[in-house]
Amino acid sequence: MTASYILEQIVNGIILGSMYALIAIGFSLIYGIVRLINFAHGDIVTIGSFAMLASAVALKIPFPLAILVVLVTGAATGMMIERIAFRPMRGAPQVTGFIASLAVAIVMENIGIMTLTAQPRSFIVPAYLSKFIAIGPLSVRAIDLAIVVLAVLLMAALALFVRFTRTGMAMRATAENYNVARLMGINIDRMILLAFAIGSALAAAAGLMWGSKYSQISPLMGLIPGLKAFVAAVIGGVGSISGAMLGGYVLGLAEVLLVGLLPPEYSGYRNVFVFAVLIIILLVMPNGLLGHSTEERA
Amino acid sequence: MLWLEDVHVRRGGTHALQGIDVEVRRGEIVALIGANGAGKTTTLSTISGLLRPQRGRIHFEIEGRRIDIGRIRAERIVAAGISHCPEGRQIFGNLSVQENLQIGAYLRHDREAVGNDLRSIHALFPILRERANLPGNRLSGGEQMMLAIGRALMSRPKLLLLDEPSLGLAPRLVEQIFDILQRIRGDGMTVLLVEQNAAMALDLADRAYVLETGAIKLSGTGKALAQNADVRRAYLGVA
Amino acid sequence: MARRPNLLAFLAAASLGAVLVFGATATLDDYVLSIIQFVGINVILAVSLNITNGFTGLFSLGHPAFMTIGGYVTAIMSLDPKRKPFLLPDLPEWLAASHLSFLPALVTGGMVATLVAVVVGFPVLRLRGHYLAVATLGLIFIVQGLAINLDGYTRGALGLNGLPELTSLWWVYGWMLLTLYVCWKLKHSSLGRTMLAIRENELAAACLGVRITRTRILSFALGAFFAGVAGGLWAHLVTLITPSSFSFLFAFQLVVMVVLGGTGSITGAALAGALLTIATEALHPVEEAMGLFGASQVLLAVAVLLVLVFRPKGLFGMAEPDLLAWVGKSPGREPTPAGSKRQREV
Repeated sequence: MTASYILEQIVNGIILGSMYALIAIGFSLIYGIVRLINFAHGDIVTIGSFAMLASAVALKIPFPLAILVVLVTGAATGMMIERIAFRPMRGAPQVTGFIASLAVAIVMENIGIMTLTAQPRSFIVPAYLSKFIAIGPLSVRAIDLAIVVLAVLLMAALALFVRFTRTGMAMRATAENYNVARLMGINIDRMILLAFAIGSALAAAAGLMWGSKYSQISPLMGLIPGLKAFVAAVIGGVGSISGAMLGGYVLGLAEVLLVGLLPPEYSGYRNVFVFAVLIIILLVMPNGLLGHSTEERA
Repeated sequence: MLWLEDVHVRRGGTHALQGIDVEVRRGEIVALIGANGAGKTTTLSTISGLLRPQRGRIHFEIEGRRIDIGRIRAERIVAAGISHCPEGRQIFGNLSVQENLQIGAYLRHDREAVGNDLRSIHALFPILRERANLPGNRLSGGEQMMLAIGRALMSRPKLLLLDEPSLGLAPRLVEQIFDILQRIRGDGMTVLLVEQNAAMALDLADRAYVLETGAIKLSGTGKALAQNADVRRAYLGVA
Repeated sequence: MARRPNLLAFLAAASLGAVLVFGATATLDDYVLSIIQFVGINVILAVSLNITNGFTGLFSLGHPAFMTIGGYVTAIMSLDPKRKPFLLPDLPEWLAASHLSFLPALVTGGMVATLVAVVVGFPVLRLRGHYLAVATLGLIFIVQGLAINLDGYTRGALGLNGLPELTSLWWVYGWMLLTLYVCWKLKHSSLGRTMLAIRENELAAACLGVRITRTRILSFALGAFFAGVAGGLWAHLVTLITPSSFSFLFAFQLVVMVVLGGTGSITGAALAGALLTIATEALHPVEEAMGLFGASQVLLAVAVLLVLVFRPKGLFGMAEPDLLAWVGKSPGREPTPAGSKRQREV
């Protein structure tokens, strides 16, 4: 248990946290506007990674451009899901929307299995990103660094968009009070689509990061990260974007440190731990760290 | 400028509006008074497009053209020039005071004019300039009311729908608000005002309607209704 | 009394069913018999989930977790004591040495599941709506994780195989009748009405003196009991139980049964359970032939979406279709209008 080992774990936690944060932001963005949990969000992560695989490997698009393709694919998928599963359910009871998004998730996962088989595929990272870079006492893979940098850039871009643009302000208004937002002339349908588009683009980006980090992807890979990112969103306060960012890093660090610092026989408990945290937070701190209560939850 | 013709609205299983006819002429202040649950807020919400009438028409005359806004979405009704300041103020608590005003002008693209209007609102309600960067939910009730009205005015509406501006406010503030309403009427604004405080509403209004369980019971000039025995008994607290 | 004819009708139908079961076990081949047993177990699950989700309105995805618990407990109780110390080294002496016959083993499985439900229910059932759904989903993963990791007690990811094949159509039929009976009695009892009241308007129910927490936990626990038993039945039908036997996918399928059948309708849930199982089984050969594994899931999910859009109360809503009328000439039961909590209101 040396200092450099702990440092290494912290770095891993930050990398995992970056990915959770991106996915969690998507959850919170969508939840903030439509007050529904998008169960299919995790599957968009999967789509992102496959889109990356397709563009980088099959279509031989250069890496940076491929990132753009991934973002666009994610956004498009998200908007499609909104149209198919969420728009028809507007005004329906909460759980109906949940079941609907569950149904969409199942459809996506099974279509994935049908067309791509459940076999994991290997995800190849371009050579120049597989090199190791020395930072202080650690050596980090270039791709890991790229993941964190990309995540931070995306989150910063989102933060700026939400705070300083007219549309960003309109989204915040819509999330707070959707009827009065209409009275301002804001087109709610467009705001909702936008939330889905942005949230899904971020999830897709996380998918590409996940594939890069773990070198293999499969049609069901996004499910568990998606659920864990939901836990992260709850930790930070569902509906709060900054909460989602915070929650993502908190969860990422907690999960990695738990596995890294406890004796190895407990490493299998990482999922148990994460979901136990979910239940505890929902009970003890239902608004999370940064959230504000907008509805009854308990 | 605005005509409601035999408007019926159902909400949540009740027949909230049972065929009402209301007229608002340009430059007037028209008051809609009545008890709780009479349908006053429903009326405003139907005009602004949050609710849909099941029967009847709502005509809005703008720049010489008459459109039926009963079937148009709320977002487009705002664009047509009707601004609804809703019941309970409902300012955006998470946005700053300045942002609340800016979002009022969401549909406008004339930057400079918007800037001028912002200054006029500040002149009308100086407290809003002082508190410009505070989040909306940190304002007091009276300040929020001013913000709500200011926000509604930022879209440069032709018709302002005001829902219960006096609700929950101290009498002094209510007086202030009503003075401001006089001022904006003087500047040419048309106002449809819903109020529980019948005395002040009738005093301010040119014409008024009395709404009772979804139907118009009485109408007339503000002064006439204020003298009406039934109105005095039911709404003005006079035996 | 109006009750009598209904009870008679029930008994008559049960006897008729018994005759059918007898005929089936005598004549049908093993494969078809096992399908029928799956149908029966799914009916038990759907109907018991109806108590939790349908009557009380608790959106619980936790049934698979209770099935896992019940299944493992039943298996541990029914395994040959000579094998147990070898397979499950961490089991305490008294457990390793004990052995129960099928019925006590099933009941024990159910009771342990109930116990867990009560313990977990106290905190978790304070949640509402989709938060409850996600928390119970988390429960599935927690139970799965524990089953995998506590391998001294459960044999980890390998699971327990070679379980005695104790389940037969009679067992399934018997438990199914019991579940249906309990559910039916519940629906027409004051406890059942209490549950429905909580579902419709919790605040009003509380004002009327309904003990909300107690009733919710009771309904959760009751559903868990039957889920645990169903888990035991399943395990001893396929002679295998692993941590992933009852996954979140299964949770979805169960929810589908309740949604399609109508939240609150016993017959609806039972029918939906039966039909879905048969349909899935029927589609398997098609899937294999076309190489499209998972197509049945897709169809199921699409069906759910369509039902949610066009008939959100499910195919039967709260009503019990008039199937028993011709049996006991009992009066048809009137559908009860049921409101629902809307998400947003203008």
